[in-house]
Amino acid sequence: MLQRYLDPTVLSGISSLDLLARTVVDGFVAGLHRSPDFGFSQEFAEYRAYTPGDDLRFVDWNLYARTERTYIKRFRGETNSQLTILLDASNSMHFTSGPPEKMDYARFIAASLFYLAIHNQRDAAGLIVFDDEVRDYIRPSTRQGQLARLFAGLERAEPRARTNFAKPLLHFQNFLNRRGIVIVISDFYEDPRTIIDSIEPLRFHGHEVILFHILDPAEIRPDFKGSAVLVDLETETKMEVIPEYVNTSYREKVDAHIEALGTRARAAGLDYQLLVTDRPLDAALREYLTLREAGN
Amino acid sequence: MGFLAPWFLGGLAALSVPVFVHLLRRHITVPRPVSSLMFFERGKQSSTRHRKLRYLVLFALRTALLLLVVLAFANPFVRRPSADANRRMLMIVLDNSFSMKAGSRFADAKRQALSVLAARPQDERAQIVALGGEVNLLTQPITDGAQLRAALESIEPGDGHANFGELGRAVRALTESVLGPIDLELFSDMQRSATPANFGDMVFPAQVKLALHSVASGATPPNWTVESVTAPAQLADPKDPKQSKVDAIVVGFNTPAATKTVSLVINGKVSATSRVEIPANGRAKVTFAPLNVAYGFNRCEVRIDGSDGFPADDATVFSVLRSDPERVLFVHANLDTRSALYFGAALQAAAQSSYVVQSVTPEQATDLDPSKFAFVVLSDTLNLPSIFEHAMSAYVAKGGNVFIALGTSAGHRTRIPVWGGETQDARGYARNGSAASIGQVDFSHPALAQDQPGRDNGGWAAVKIDYAATVDATSARVAAKLTDGTPILLDKQIGEGHVLLLATGLDNLTNDLPLHPVFVAFIDRAARYLSGSDRLSGSRLVDSWAQPRASAGSGAGSVEVIDPEGRRPLSLAEARSAQSLQLEKSGFYQIRFANGRDAVIGVNPDRRESDLSPMPDEMLKLWSGSSSERQDQSTAIAANGASQPVSLWWYVMLLAFLAAIAETALASRHLGTLREEA
Repeated sequence: MLQRYLDPTVLSGISSLDLLARTVVDGFVAGLHRSPDFGFSQEFAEYRAYTPGDDLRFVDWNLYARTERTYIKRFRGETNSQLTILLDASNSMHFTSGPPEKMDYARFIAASLFYLAIHNQRDAAGLIVFDDEVRDYIRPSTRQGQLARLFAGLERAEPRARTNFAKPLLHFQNFLNRRGIVIVISDFYEDPRTIIDSIEPLRFHGHEVILFHILDPAEIRPDFKGSAVLVDLETETKMEVIPEYVNTSYREKVDAHIEALGTRARAAGLDYQLLVTDRPLDAALREYLTLREAGN
Repeated sequence: MGFLAPWFLGGLAALSVPVFVHLLRRHITVPRPVSSLMFFERGKQSSTRHRKLRYLVLFALRTALLLLVVLAFANPFVRRPSADANRRMLMIVLDNSFSMKAGSRFADAKRQALSVLAARPQDERAQIVALGGEVNLLTQPITDGAQLRAALESIEPGDGHANFGELGRAVRALTESVLGPIDLELFSDMQRSATPANFGDMVFPAQVKLALHSVASGATPPNWTVESVTAPAQLADPKDPKQSKVDAIVVGFNTPAATKTVSLVINGKVSATSRVEIPANGRAKVTFAPLNVAYGFNRCEVRIDGSDGFPADDATVFSVLRSDPERVLFVHANLDTRSALYFGAALQAAAQSSYVVQSVTPEQATDLDPSKFAFVVLSDTLNLPSIFEHAMSAYVAKGGNVFIALGTSAGHRTRIPVWGGETQDARGYARNGSAASIGQVDFSHPALAQDQPGRDNGGWAAVKIDYAATVDATSARVAAKLTDGTPILLDKQIGEGHVLLLATGLDNLTNDLPLHPVFVAFIDRAARYLSGSDRLSGSRLVDSWAQPRASAGSGAGSVEVIDPEGRRPLSLAEARSAQSLQLEKSGFYQIRFANGRDAVIGVNPDRRESDLSPMPDEMLKLWSGSSSERQDQSTAIAANGASQPVSLWWYVMLLAFLAAIAETALASRHLGTLREEA
């Protein structure tokens, strides 16, 4: 029932990011199965026979008193991680062929991830908004009110200017001292080599990096019936194009771009996920949880 | 090349519309935003250029369409040299009116006309026209001399009354289709009485050159004639001094004072003679009484003995039908005795007719056959026995006539027998404070006819109506209306018969009509109209019309007509369908109407023809001179131009139509593409 709240067209009707994130995450979690991994937390999982070297603190002495056998209690794993989202707020994120905008879709994802991280996982979460420079920075934290601050930061992140990965990412490393998960949400209208070269250093610092590539369906498969004049949202450059090119060469170039970005990202040890704005949000959440369960 | 309606060229301003749409509006295109142009390449390909070309073709078509429509309204023309423009046409008009029978006038006129026709150039077109009671074009404009001569020879003197105004109107209509100048040769006695009241009516168009050939040479001969005869058309009692008499007016034109013998001839035998002193150029009245006529139709004639300049007009014919007094069936309500009294008294007082009123109640009428009566009156009786009502309906369908008076029993929505409708309303005007009066009277209706109605609406204005029913006037002729517009007298034709409906009563309870003198005249005329006695006998003028059948669709029998010369002017087909018959000859017409009734009608020439005095010379000069002067101007214009305008609007409209089709086809394809893009 709550799964339908993962549909972006439904979500675009919700104005409150808090409510939106709660709706998405609750709907998402309701459909999840428990992770098969184990850890040492307060939640009991099973008994295991004691082997030398095990921490004596986890031996169940009550059981030993009844059975004279030593078992240790196993608990579900639970660690604290740090989530930082790098949100592209360039003008190109304004593009839409129907609700929601790419920027809104990015906000939905970010808000849902923040909610999931802070509310469900009790991770620290932070936000960096950038275009051709860093426009907003909210330090990762688990303090009271952090979620509200992050949502406010997302609300403030209105697209403007143009994207430049190289310049702001130099500064990211100053902000990201502690290891954690870094999620870059952008439409990545840049050369894949430049993008990966700019983001790869984060990986060197021990971060798990995920690239969420946000694209509108009309950007992947545009449908032109006749020639048209196009205007670039970032540079405002105008160009007359013909449908024959758009329907053939353009699609090939976009596909090649997506393919190159994914390949290079995986080669650099980065996770890559293409998110189209007409598809549900659960792919992004599932990607985050996968990384989270991997031990970060 | 020119424009007949150049003001329409102002419509060329509409050309700014396609200019705006194509040259100004076309550049306003909305760019489509995209995230980045990094994957796009600039491109213009042939299809774009084709579309631009299509834009321009569409623009040209739309511009051409507007241009052509505007030009079509401006009515462009070119001057084309006209082959007929300078070809003269000879129009020979021969007067064959009644006055041409005087002396040798007609023979002289025909001889002169033949000589003019013979003298014309062989290649000159000519047309023969006879001017009698009406203008007859005997030929088209042709050059065939034999045909023209035959047409001219065939003209015989008639009994009609010529009117130069009619000739002027006919020639004006003719010149609209005939190009080039016309030489009109008029052979006539140029009677003064043939001139219309307005001289402008007889003036010809500029292209007509009039040449007058008067055959009334010398002094006008003195002429006495019987101007009018007043005699009963129907006579029941020859000893009735009121009716049994003939009054004749004898008049002299250009005559000295003289004593003339005037005779009354009945069925070929002189019945009475009278000598009368007629003053110079004056009138005298002769009365013959009593009128001893036999039963049936009597062919009568008032004749002036002795010769004069025009013997053909010395007699006036009329017919008198001697019969027993005709019975009129008067059906009234049981308690209503006044209506029959007033109606019968009015009929008795009328001098022109003789009827016996049989007054019955509806119950008593059950066994009566309406066809045995001259007409039937239904006075305030809306509930008839069904047998009698059925007999009445059949009676009317076969040509019988009914007079219905609606009295106080005409309540709301009561069906009116025979009439075929209901009363819609009934108003008591007296109850509202003031009685209604009669506002409009149609004096052309036979039941209301008056020669010169006075200012008091012919006496009807004084009549007060206290109570009147409102009747649906659909398919009925409204002969009189109240001041509030309510029809008060209606006439409806049903089958071969007529139903005259008075929306108020015949007594003095619902109105005071029986107390007014106009009531007697109304009842007299209505009775004559309904009994048809006017149609059966009496006298008419030449070229008047008789109505032998009420309607073409009626299934009544054929009509039989025998003219004064003993011939049957109607063919068998015409006898089955003719609704009207023109009485063209003087003498007695014998007619058997479609409803089976016989009639003998005396027909006399218009007495204006008896005044043989011609038009004054000044008027003749003015008539021919005005025509000649303007004809000279017209000839000069034609000589300068020697061409006629030929309108091009049809071709322009054809081009506009083609442009519209092409524009529609191209625009639909173009707009279809735009819709797909949207």
